[in-house]
Amino acid sequence: MKRSTVRVPVRATGAACVAALAAVGLTACGSPAEGGSSAGGDGGPVEIEVWTWAQGYDKAAEAFNAAHDDVQVTYTEIEPGAKGGYDKIRNAIKAGSAPCLAQVGYETMPSFASEGNLLDVTEFAAADADAYAPAGWSGVTVGDRVYAAPQDQGPMVLFYNKDVFAEHGIEVPTTWDEYRAAGEKLKEAGVALTGTYEDFDYTGFAWQAGAPWYAVADGQWSITNDSPENQEVAAYWQGLVDDGLVGAGIWSDEWAAGLSDGSIATIAGAAWFKGILKDSAAGAAGRWAVAPLPTWEAGETVTGNVGGSGTAVLAGCENPEAAWEVAHFMSTDPTAVDAVIEGAGILPASVEGLKSDLLTQGDDYFGGQVVDEVAIAASADVAEGWVWGPGVSTLIDTFAADMKKAYDQQGTATVADALTSSRTAAVDGLAKQGITVGE
Amino acid sequence: MTSVTSSTPVLTPAGRRDSRAARRAPGRPRTARYALWFVAPFVVLFVGVYVAPICYAIYQSLFRIERDPLGLTPPTEVLDPLFNYAAVLQDAAFVASLGRVLLFGAVQVPLMLGFALALALLIDSASARGKGFFRLASFAPYAVPTVVSALMWSFLYSPTNSPINRLLEPAGITVDFLGADLTLWSVANVVTWGWTGYNMIIIYAALQGIPGEVLEAARLDGASPWRTAWHVKVPLVRPAILLTAVFSIIGSAQLYNEPFVLSSSTGTIGPQYTPLMAAQSSITAANYPYAAAQSVVLALGVAVLSVLFFRLTSRRSS
Repeated sequence: MKRSTVRVPVRATGAACVAALAAVGLTACGSPAEGGSSAGGDGGPVEIEVWTWAQGYDKAAEAFNAAHDDVQVTYTEIEPGAKGGYDKIRNAIKAGSAPCLAQVGYETMPSFASEGNLLDVTEFAAADADAYAPAGWSGVTVGDRVYAAPQDQGPMVLFYNKDVFAEHGIEVPTTWDEYRAAGEKLKEAGVALTGTYEDFDYTGFAWQAGAPWYAVADGQWSITNDSPENQEVAAYWQGLVDDGLVGAGIWSDEWAAGLSDGSIATIAGAAWFKGILKDSAAGAAGRWAVAPLPTWEAGETVTGNVGGSGTAVLAGCENPEAAWEVAHFMSTDPTAVDAVIEGAGILPASVEGLKSDLLTQGDDYFGGQVVDEVAIAASADVAEGWVWGPGVSTLIDTFAADMKKAYDQQGTATVADALTSSRTAAVDGLAKQGITVGE
Repeated sequence: MTSVTSSTPVLTPAGRRDSRAARRAPGRPRTARYALWFVAPFVVLFVGVYVAPICYAIYQSLFRIERDPLGLTPPTEVLDPLFNYAAVLQDAAFVASLGRVLLFGAVQVPLMLGFALALALLIDSASARGKGFFRLASFAPYAVPTVVSALMWSFLYSPTNSPINRLLEPAGITVDFLGADLTLWSVANVVTWGWTGYNMIIIYAALQGIPGEVLEAARLDGASPWRTAWHVKVPLVRPAILLTAVFSIIGSAQLYNEPFVLSSSTGTIGPQYTPLMAAQSSITAANYPYAAAQSVVLALGVAVLSVLFFRLTSRRSS
């Protein structure tokens, strides 16, 4: 082999680097952050761009355009936030090509706000606060600043396979103790009580138990997911795992199959699992029903919340007032909200939206039961005191991986381990960004 | 060290061929200018999509993100050249991910290239039948996008209903493909499955380029097919093998798709399983400077490994 002497021309490399950087710098400075909105110089309508992943927003945008002349909305569908949508939004903001509005989950709202990705629209939005359910409004408020119009919410309920319950003579559980007892009975029949809960689906149980994962004290954040209250919730789920009452991993094909064939009997989760059930277990139509989420104490009416999102005003938007008008319209206008209910099966976060006729109709999949009635009732019972803080993605991603271990490798990994390890990862991640997390 | 620009006019004989051009533009012969036009598209693309991003990453890695204690106001970036690099080297999860791909590469690359070489020699051998079929069949997995192949393997590895385990059931064997001990090797298997054919084709093409008279000479000297393969063919395709080895080393360092897809089926693949996954998770946490520092450290590691590899192999050859 010819001995190749690849000499790196150091000076040339340096020059190339400087030139390339200059080019990058020029593009960065040369394109003013357009911010996804523009007012026509000839007095044409203001254009507001919207990015969301929930279906039905396109029709909500059309409804807005039909009702307005001065502001017009252009709609783009993106990937769901955790599946790349948030990265896309972040990159667009960094590149100065972001839209004015985008769908952002409540759990991500504080992270986004703290990264400087959102615009404070309190001055336009404050007057509309009463138009929204408290759970939604608190989801778009960080500190005392409002960043988005709440679109939907995810109060938790219990979906159960009523045929399986009837077959084994099981009453609908109202407390977590009864839930566990139901699981013991089902186990004898070879039926799993539930699939696993790994990320936000699990945080809902902590939410219900009044065991928040974030808290503010002495002017700094603390991450409290390993608090004594949280250890109690963890011990309960660890018990279900140890006793072999928990089945396939949530969102897996085996999980969907179990929901269909009756080998997984319940989903304890957000009301929006309604749509997931219909899609994943279409064959089980007529067999499922819904009830309030079991509680820790008998007679309580308290539940948690998983998910929900708002239409947030992004940094760089030149017309935040018009953007708020659009976001508010899409969350409160009956036609617009109905479009998103039909498209994505959401439970609206606005008072007007909750009055929709679509939410009072019996659902054939659930044997004619009015599922949304149960969900709306639950939304009034969502526990207070839960806040999301910065660093959620690291916290949840690490937690989810270690929860999978707790379910898969029983004996070597536990739910409590997942709480500790995810806390460590999140605290380390925040330290690299100059945020010290308290004990 | 000679720089490219100063040596170019010396290497080009153009000045002699067209002295008028040389007079018009002293020191800049016309052909060099033509050549410049021809390489311009490459240079523009190379600088735009390769050099610039690398430089920007290096530049970005020099900044530290500073936030207020509650992190409720937008962060500011402060020049602090060593902050992120110090943090990267102390980041246990990132260092572990580097160790993981190093172990992965040390085992998987030799295995895969061994398979690829063996396959290429078999298909190239004079007595092989159905060459076209085997060439295509072993190359076909490369045509499957890595994400798709990882999805397919995630079904085969499924903890609850792996068809492989169902076949092994009568023998009383259950393999936990995505358990703590096996995950890395299950990932290695997916990569090997996907890339053996690709490397085989490169080596096979080199085998095809061996002059017939060399092989004929070996045969006339009484060399058996085994001896011919080992002592004639393999040394002659050495450059091709080295090339595939360097590609594979770089590929191992950039391991991402396969473990990322499999991570939805197992907790043994965390969000920082490989260096690229770790950098991606820093981006998701909105710490771009830190992600840049992680990427630069990874790139430096690969560069050092590649140079070491070339040094080692060229010394042995001389």
